[in-house]
Amino acid sequence: MDALVHFLPQVWFVILALFLFLYVLLDGFDLGVGILSLTSSDEARRSLLMTSLGNIWDANETWLVLMGGALFGAFPLAYGTILSALYIPIFMMIFGLIFRAVAFEFREHSDRKFLWNFAFGAGSFIAALGQGFALGSVIEGIEVDEAGHFIGSTWDWLDWRSLLVALTLIQGYVLIGSTYLILKTEGELQKTHFRTAKLAAITTVIGAILITIVTPIVYEAARTRLLSPPLVYIFALIPVLGVVLVGLLLRSLNREEENTPLIWTMLIFLLTFVGLGLIVFPYIIPNQITIYQAAAAPSALVFMLTFIGVLIPIMLFYNIYNYVVFRGKVVGDMYGE
Amino acid sequence: MNIWADTVALSRMQFALTAIFHMLWPVLTTGMAIYLVIVEGLWLKTRNPDYYRHARFWSKLYVLNFGIGVASGLPMEFQFGTNWAPFSEAVGDFFGSILGFEGAMAFMLEAGFLGIMLFGWGRVHPVIHYLATIMVAFGANLSTFWILVANSWLQTPAGGEMVNGKFIVSDYFQAIANPFMVKSVSHMFFATLETSLFVIGGISAWYILNNRDQAFFSRSLKIVLAAAIAVTPLQIYIGHLSAEQVSHYQPTKLAAMEAKWETSPAGQPADWSLLAIPNEAGQKNTWEITIPNGLGYILEFKKNLSEPVQGLKEWAPSDRPRMVGLIYYSFRVMSGIGFFLAGLMLWSVLQWLLGNLSPEKIAQQKWLLRTWIFAAPLGYIAVESGWIVRCVGRQPWTLYGQIRTADAASHLPASNVLTSLTLFAVVYSVLFVSTLYFGSRIIRHGPNLELPVPGLDNQPAIETEPATFVPDQRPVEAQQ
Repeated sequence: MDALVHFLPQVWFVILALFLFLYVLLDGFDLGVGILSLTSSDEARRSLLMTSLGNIWDANETWLVLMGGALFGAFPLAYGTILSALYIPIFMMIFGLIFRAVAFEFREHSDRKFLWNFAFGAGSFIAALGQGFALGSVIEGIEVDEAGHFIGSTWDWLDWRSLLVALTLIQGYVLIGSTYLILKTEGELQKTHFRTAKLAAITTVIGAILITIVTPIVYEAARTRLLSPPLVYIFALIPVLGVVLVGLLLRSLNREEENTPLIWTMLIFLLTFVGLGLIVFPYIIPNQITIYQAAAAPSALVFMLTFIGVLIPIMLFYNIYNYVVFRGKVVGDMYGE
Repeated sequence: MNIWADTVALSRMQFALTAIFHMLWPVLTTGMAIYLVIVEGLWLKTRNPDYYRHARFWSKLYVLNFGIGVASGLPMEFQFGTNWAPFSEAVGDFFGSILGFEGAMAFMLEAGFLGIMLFGWGRVHPVIHYLATIMVAFGANLSTFWILVANSWLQTPAGGEMVNGKFIVSDYFQAIANPFMVKSVSHMFFATLETSLFVIGGISAWYILNNRDQAFFSRSLKIVLAAAIAVTPLQIYIGHLSAEQVSHYQPTKLAAMEAKWETSPAGQPADWSLLAIPNEAGQKNTWEITIPNGLGYILEFKKNLSEPVQGLKEWAPSDRPRMVGLIYYSFRVMSGIGFFLAGLMLWSVLQWLLGNLSPEKIAQQKWLLRTWIFAAPLGYIAVESGWIVRCVGRQPWTLYGQIRTADAASHLPASNVLTSLTLFAVVYSVLFVSTLYFGSRIIRHGPNLELPVPGLDNQPAIETEPATFVPDQRPVEAQQ
């Protein structure tokens, strides 16, 4: 029984990490494409960018809804504390996503396409910014009392470190958005995104390096754990692998390969996620609340595992099928009637 | 107390506003998804291209509503954490799990197949496409199921007990099958269906009345009319069963629904209030029209009450719902609409039996068609009113009898909530007006009856010269 008390929260930590990772990966390129659309030179291009997402943005966003529900059920304390502490960045994200979502439907029927195209781009940017601030301040830690309730102030989430995370996340989204567009478009549009991908790769890496340096210095608990064996070997491996992957990414961009940039970018995201997971674990609110303290009753975790766990491979299957059906380049209105 | 500085009041207002706005969109998409399954099935069976074009035309309105439903659904889920953190912590074990199930089973299914349903016509086999449409409808209705499971549990908590401010679940399936669950799920299922039927019917009637594509739209009018024959009376019956449950499990809500201040003892008849002006300060109705001995007939179909019906005065003001007038009139609006729609169904069926709905004659039924147009928004009003009765009537409890709403709210600065509430009010007003505008544009534009039909059996039967391909020069949105 004692083992179960530890094992079940660990399982749910991994499942939530998977949902969050899939969200960041998939809606990451949606949002990245949205942010890129702000820099597009004309409306026709912007329309093409939106068309490339028409059939999938909603499924991608659903990973966030799923992550939210699962966090609520598996770690109710963390759900309440984190979301109420991050009231402002969470609502930034929500309003950003609202504008992003309605833009898809409204621009279809509107005569003023630029208005909704802008709502799409600006919404994507605001959503990404809110997510970045939220992520940054969770990693930093949230001020709580002994019962785990938030006791900090409304603007705690805003400082230079969360800003650094937010900017890096935006760069990361632009990077994965660019590599997605390299895969889905051709000609002049594709060329543009080879350039944006290269630029975003460099800015993302700079941000990631800064975060990597700053993190173990700032967070003592993570430092002692990560800089002692056995985790130190894994943790030391991450920068090495990171350098290799970034090298491979830049090489594929220079060679103008179509498929590989997205793959390398996804692997870079994965590596970053593993690194983040190592820093955060076993906390769900770093240095304050462990996953064991925040977890729902073991029975609740089993209850959820029975209904959600079983569905994970099925959800993955039909999401992949969706991508298979719509594989290939986006040209004009191919998704339309 | 100044409500603009009261975090609990502001959080409640924000939840009410976002819930009322959100409800408008899935209520149509869940019901219309079933209609889309029906017409696509009819197309596969009969290969009549009209059914295919029905599927294509209505799915345009469908996706418009769907997008706003998704957008406005996000704040619903996240608000539990942002504005109701103590509540989330107390009930997360069950309530949070159910929201997780909704995400994993319902939303994901719906979203995962929506792309294929909307854009996959030329990319997958018609049978696969039909499967995708069914999955979208199934996912949407599963979502109704789980959200009503969660809400019913708030009304009639079961399967565990409160221990030190946290709800400890002892039996999850008992919590799912809480006393309200079956009837609430059914009531909402039929509510989405009925609303969608009358929206589709009303829009079809508008086309027929305006002499546009009459044969095409009398088809959809008849499909929804045929469904309404079963749905409208069933919904009234389930509504009655639900009210019966309320009288048993939530006597405070029933008393508010009837603006009933004094208790009526068992074994005697009691008057039923038809219209009233409730006066909360004076704990009475300042003015009232009653139907003598009506309450027994309404609750039990007989004159004398077999159980006492308690009046609001039985509880201290802090233990019973406020805004009695709102609850009282919302209930009357909802049930009034239920009967009105059933009456419209009867009138239409009568005309159908008389042969007056044939494509040649249907346009002469001007008043019938006008009534259908008038009925198009009524389902929404009924649904919103029903939710007001259900959730305002549950007050002062969030978890009925267990957690008070005042204790459920996050301790946030009121200015934060006021800001987000104001933003929601502004943004949602813009979205509401825009959706009506774009929706009416889709309707005015009408269906494309020249739309080529995909699929295997639609190859030309005789050899023809291939036509020269002329690319469509119009902008994407004009091509349909």
